[in-house]
Amino acid sequence: MQTATIQTAAPLLEVSDFSLHRGAAAVLDRVGLTLRPGETLGLIGESGAGKSTLAMAVIGLLREPEVGLSGSLRFHGEELTGLAEARYRKLRGNRIGLIFQDATAALNPCYTVGAQIAEPLRRHLGLSKWDARERAVELMTSVGIPEPRLRLNAYPHELSGGMQQRVMIAIALACNPELLLADEPTSALDVTIQAQIMELILERVRALNSSAIFVLHDLALGAQVCDRIAVMYAGQIVEEGPSAEVLARPLHPYTRGLKSCVVELGSEDLQPIPGQVPPLNAMPEGCRFAPRCPKAQDVCRRERPAPETRDGRQVACWFID
Amino acid sequence: MERQTVFTLLDVERTYELGKAGWFGKSRGRLKALDGVRLELRRGDSLALVGESGSGKSTLVRIMLGLEPASDGRVLYGQHDLGQLDPAARKRFAREVAFIYQNARGSMNPRLRIADILAEPIRLHRLRPEAEMTGRVAELLARVGLPAEMAERFPNELSGGQIRRVAIARALAAEPQVIMADESVAGLDVSVQAQVLNLLRDLCREGGITLVFITHDLGVASYLCERIAVLYLGRIVEQGPTGAILGNPRHPYTRGLMQAFPKFGAPLTAPLKGEIPSPVNLPQGCRFAGRCPEARDACRETDPVLAEQAGRQVACHFPLEVAQ
Repeated sequence: MQTATIQTAAPLLEVSDFSLHRGAAAVLDRVGLTLRPGETLGLIGESGAGKSTLAMAVIGLLREPEVGLSGSLRFHGEELTGLAEARYRKLRGNRIGLIFQDATAALNPCYTVGAQIAEPLRRHLGLSKWDARERAVELMTSVGIPEPRLRLNAYPHELSGGMQQRVMIAIALACNPELLLADEPTSALDVTIQAQIMELILERVRALNSSAIFVLHDLALGAQVCDRIAVMYAGQIVEEGPSAEVLARPLHPYTRGLKSCVVELGSEDLQPIPGQVPPLNAMPEGCRFAPRCPKAQDVCRRERPAPETRDGRQVACWFID
Repeated sequence: MERQTVFTLLDVERTYELGKAGWFGKSRGRLKALDGVRLELRRGDSLALVGESGSGKSTLVRIMLGLEPASDGRVLYGQHDLGQLDPAARKRFAREVAFIYQNARGSMNPRLRIADILAEPIRLHRLRPEAEMTGRVAELLARVGLPAEMAERFPNELSGGQIRRVAIARALAAEPQVIMADESVAGLDVSVQAQVLNLLRDLCREGGITLVFITHDLGVASYLCERIAVLYLGRIVEQGPTGAILGNPRHPYTRGLMQAFPKFGAPLTAPLKGEIPSPVNLPQGCRFAGRCPEARDACRETDPVLAEQAGRQVACHFPLEVAQ
């Protein structure tokens, strides 16, 4: 990928100072991110870190009255936080595609696979029934579904988990979206199928010159598929930068802690991070990671560190070494 | 001194009849979940059963637990045939061999407090008098790193990591010699997974417990177990010491699994194309031939047998060379 052009292009997605509250609890706390065209970004962290929440907020699925949004989410310069639902519907499935974790749950069991792939084509691109069907066959071929014409009439339950995930990818990419959101697209699959599906998503995203945000819990996988990585902890981004560097030389104690928990082939000793993610209604005042951090000092418990630029990445820690 | 043999599996086979198409229709065939599995487990061993979904890992463990009979072949527990244990021996077997279910939360009665869940096996096997029960429950909770107050909680009040620990504590409650665990760390966050893995490893090393661990994650298998058996479509394709297998995989399937495993500093590769085929009406020849990058004509004709070589057993006509 031509890094130079990516750096200078106008951002596709700009998240700045974005918070999401449920009642008094800040599920996302002043998150900032920039995604440029053609870039792939990984959101990494433990459950409860807010990775999926951020992805769902971007695609506008968290708009109930009890959810409080502040800050800004800009897609191509257009503010998304207060966007009318009718306008959002023109983006979803069209310019922003979405792949869910559990394809079995995300696909409608009552409609054939062909009808579900054709739906966005008919709705957003206005294709005729016949054209949409033909295009669906092409899409199924492009995501590696054997005998697509035959499978067009299959119901989701007739396909394996890997094949269902391929159908989801075909739906998400049907309208050539500029941004693809993939929420744990492979965590329900075997490693062999995971590798196939990830390769497929990357290949399609590159072919369409789209950007992608992956929500992942597997650090090594993140290093393999993402240009950039944002490590999240308890609703905040603690470290963000080029994936190779962030994971090879983590600067934030949490990133370092996560990495020492990862089981690799031939791992000798795993060092779990002590303690647990604090509950949302009892977040510590200062740095949210302070109670579990081996380097925490008084200042960490008092005040939240602001993200600082260091070696081409953003790190939110009082004691970066 | 030779360690005592706990389990011996001799050519174990498990087939399911698929029933008929309609009342008078033809049989729809047979599903062979396990075929010719030979395995020996000695006291203090830790064995990982590795493979994709549909490879027969869980069926194998269910047979070793006596939850279903083998269609053919023999399963020996010590010197005795598992299918022919008398009721007293059967009950002793249930105490000595504990199982940790994949779905830890689903394996617990949601209406019982943790204290009662842990006390159940102790009461059943009359291991402690009732007066010592509270103390024993606290001891078990402490063993898995949970505070004693947990005893008063209900399963749905616990987090994913905590509930797995309770499942381990319940397995320990019966004071077993063997623990079998089905994907006990799958779906956990890495930091919690690391905690649970370290706990299981300590139990094996310090408690002298024999462990059979089902996992699809080779990293977890290598961390926890001294031996690995790789299964593909109901058959063991490679088994032996973890170091030998991961250092030098000889079966192309093992190598494929290793290459697909996400690694830092290595590009993403999908070495194995396609998916595990249906175990109904298997083709002749090697089952893996359809996905094997090394397959030749001979592979499609005759089924390779598991043979001893390079310090492990491999079922392949053309095993990979040992690297220098």
